[in-house]
Amino acid sequence: MQKAYKLSIIYYLIFSLLLIISAVMLFDYKIGFSYEGVLDYYLGDEEKFIPAKSSGGALKLVLPHIFSFGLISMVLLHFLVFTKHRYKKSTLVLIYLTFLSALLEIFTPMLILNGFEFAALLKLISFFVFLSLILYISWLLFYSIIHE
Amino acid sequence: MKFTLINNIKKDKVMKLILTGFLSFILLYIISDIFVKYFGFGISVDAIKITLVGSEAEFIDPITKASFLEFWHVEIFFMMMILLTLSAIFIRLANRSRTFMTNILMISAITSLVTIALAYFVSAIFIYIYVITFFIWHLSAVYMILYSFWKLYAKGV
Repeated sequence: MQKAYKLSIIYYLIFSLLLIISAVMLFDYKIGFSYEGVLDYYLGDEEKFIPAKSSGGALKLVLPHIFSFGLISMVLLHFLVFTKHRYKKSTLVLIYLTFLSALLEIFTPMLILNGFEFAALLKLISFFVFLSLILYISWLLFYSIIHE
Repeated sequence: MKFTLINNIKKDKVMKLILTGFLSFILLYIISDIFVKYFGFGISVDAIKITLVGSEAEFIDPITKASFLEFWHVEIFFMMMILLTLSAIFIRLANRSRTFMTNILMISAITSLVTIALAYFVSAIFIYIYVITFFIWHLSAVYMILYSFWKLYAKGV
């Protein structure tokens, strides 16, 4: 790969890091990293004056994330094709895990709104798993660019 | 990113047309972004300061933390996607200035994103750096788009 392309990818990784930071800050501020916090955010809490989310309201938030999660995962993962990780079995696992965790992160609010309260825990887990995988892929790419 | 693998893009009529369309849309986005910010968030130091911290004299409330974080989050996403594709096309077409311009574009864009967050959470003084880097990355992007057009269509280049 040309040096200029490597440079461009490194900057993309920095953008990814910023995106993760903003996502964590947004999640922390609007929802909070607790089981009760997630339930309150979607189901509402009269004592805390938090209104419940409607299915339509949740879908409005889900829609742009379906596109952006898919795009970010695809762009980051496809860079792995240019590295030595291309033919590894672990890369396949990584691809499955990334898309699966993204899917869970996006659609667990619909489960919560339909009475499956345990999905609040799934939402938290999938959020952290997805972001951790994005960070791990970024690290793999960064390491490959620096050492190959 | 097929265009990165084609040997001579200028002779490939289909890819040339696709890149022309795509570059035109990026140019439209960059120009529209300036207008949208001008009418909303602000592009001058005073306007941005009013948006971020409000104005007692004019009875304007500051932007809420949730709104700011949403704005910042969306801004990062769009910029990372647009600048990656633009730099990939520019790198493919330019010969000499590609590393320099990629550095200028990306560093100014990342600095603008970091400083707007610092302006909101730390000190309004960072707005000055934000405004400067905001215009640097927009101008760099416009230059890269126009240069790419020139490389695609100029004869004997």
